[in-house]
Amino acid sequence: MPEQYGVTRRRLFGIGGTLGLVAAAGLSTSAALARRPAVTGAELRSAVPLPPPFRVPLPLPAVLKPVSTAGGVDRYAITQREVTAEILPGVRTPLWTYEGVFPGPTIESRRGRPVTVTHRNDLPVPTVVHLHGGRTPADSDGYPTDLVLPREWDHGGHAMHDPRAVVSELTREYTFPLDQRPTLLWYHDHRMDFTAPAIWRGLAGLHIVRDDAEDALGLPAGPRELPLMIADRAFTADGGLDYPSLDPTLRGRPGVREEYLAGVLGDVILVNGAPWPVHEADAARYRLRLLNASNARHYELEAVTGDGRRLDLVQIGADQGLLAAPVTHRVLPMAPAERHDVVVDFSGVPVGGLVRLVNRLGSGRTRDVMAFRVARRAADDSRIPRTLSTDLPRWRRSDAVRVRDLSFRAGRMHGRHGWLIGGLPFDPARTDVTARLGDVEIWRLVADVHHPVHLHLVGFQVLSRRGRPPLPHDAGLKDTVALRPGEGVEIITRFDGYRGRYLFHCHNAEHEDMAMMANLEIV
Amino acid sequence: MTTPTAWALRAVVSAHLVAIAAQPVFAGVYLTGDYGSLRWHAVGADVTTSIGYVQLVVAVVAWVRMRQVWPFLATLAVVAAETVQYFAGMESALWLHVPLGVTTVAGVVVQFIATWRPLGRREVRDA
Repeated sequence: MPEQYGVTRRRLFGIGGTLGLVAAAGLSTSAALARRPAVTGAELRSAVPLPPPFRVPLPLPAVLKPVSTAGGVDRYAITQREVTAEILPGVRTPLWTYEGVFPGPTIESRRGRPVTVTHRNDLPVPTVVHLHGGRTPADSDGYPTDLVLPREWDHGGHAMHDPRAVVSELTREYTFPLDQRPTLLWYHDHRMDFTAPAIWRGLAGLHIVRDDAEDALGLPAGPRELPLMIADRAFTADGGLDYPSLDPTLRGRPGVREEYLAGVLGDVILVNGAPWPVHEADAARYRLRLLNASNARHYELEAVTGDGRRLDLVQIGADQGLLAAPVTHRVLPMAPAERHDVVVDFSGVPVGGLVRLVNRLGSGRTRDVMAFRVARRAADDSRIPRTLSTDLPRWRRSDAVRVRDLSFRAGRMHGRHGWLIGGLPFDPARTDVTARLGDVEIWRLVADVHHPVHLHLVGFQVLSRRGRPPLPHDAGLKDTVALRPGEGVEIITRFDGYRGRYLFHCHNAEHEDMAMMANLEIV
Repeated sequence: MTTPTAWALRAVVSAHLVAIAAQPVFAGVYLTGDYGSLRWHAVGADVTTSIGYVQLVVAVVAWVRMRQVWPFLATLAVVAAETVQYFAGMESALWLHVPLGVTTVAGVVVQFIATWRPLGRREVRDA
């Protein structure tokens, strides 16, 4: 009898064994092919020789001078124009710039003191300026169809698709009340369908908001406060910026070549427009105001000394200003458009020592970001107060009048590959979310791959991640939250400030251009 | 006549199959943006792994009483995979979580067939 069952048993072992083999083969294939850590996007390879790291000094973007400060308003004028600049040593690179420089000139402003910026478009294509993180009335928020047309533009605007668009010719005045918490904002192009290549070509600059309370904290300041705009790029053989546009003139057909649909990554890391720069530093505390201005590249930053020690990155602020109390990190994740305000202390580094800012998610050359060369001992009277701010909103779950579920995932739009929010591609004519001014809402966001989700107008707090408490770097008030593959995040916010038509979208700039945006109507 | 142990094994494997089959359902619904399904996927993970451990106990009994070691070995393999699966899910290691999940479901399906077919034949002969 047992022999008879032996057949069955043998067969069972056979089935089990086969299943085991298939499983082992499947899992090892997955382990071999998968991007670990996960990366969303494809990397361009530069066709020019790349410079060695830590040779070029770190540039600091010049602060723009107002053309007028009369009437309690700071007025600025910026011309958007093409220039040729030297980004890689000895290589001439055509750029699209604000005021002839990349990054654009920095605007320094005070909380509650309005700023108007008159932008003049001398570029060959329409532009739109958005102040990222700004608490801005809708007519100055840079809605993607509110185009500023260049001289002799005969391709039409997007006005036919969007009856509410306000198109202007050659110039437009943007007004920013800046009635908001002090923080690092950034302005960049936000033109419908062409945001990603426009930012890539150089249309991005910093805008800092300060107030007396922050100035009084005693944080590192002056030459020891460094804005760091981190962005990746790639270069063609003739020195131009490489970008896989379907229409390189950026006049007609939007989009990128198929292999770059998930996002465009460059193989050169620029900080303030310089490749892998180095900054001579005192052996003292520095305030680093980090911005990830990359289209699609994520970073996990750490500061590593010559002997392999990792310095503490003491986070004092998030996208929307100071935290309640400092949070100490060794590794600081940073998605596109996120800002982190961190203090790093070089006092324990020997004179002559090199501290590298490293991206743990990078590989090869993209692992390095920049470096600090500790040049001298120095007195340091800066400090990091235990309490940084007391004005953060305290929203509770019970305050929320509405909970919304929103998915961010790949899909089809008009027969092409697209990126969808709630299953729909962006349509200026459709209101996706209507929120009442003053209402507190909870949004539950779910992603398929990496999606850094950004809300215009408001800051929000992260309530949970993957159903568990938020991560240390989710602290404070944010305007962009990084969703990693398969991840769900709950955020809470209060819609206040101004009524009107705003946006929320994925800040992977390629996803944004491929319809991952939605309208937020505040009524 | 089928022994109580065999019935117990069939029952627990059947429950296991139902629980594990629900997991990709919750995952799929979650990825469409239904945030609440993440909670159900987590509850489902707890239920599935718990049933797995109960099945391991029943399989030990079957080994002793029915002199059949294969239910124990197979269950051990599935439970080990489910434990890895649980933590791969918690850590969002999707490269591991997705294929391992598919494999684990296949493993439980094979056990379901095995407990309902060959056991029965043997018991008919024994009777």
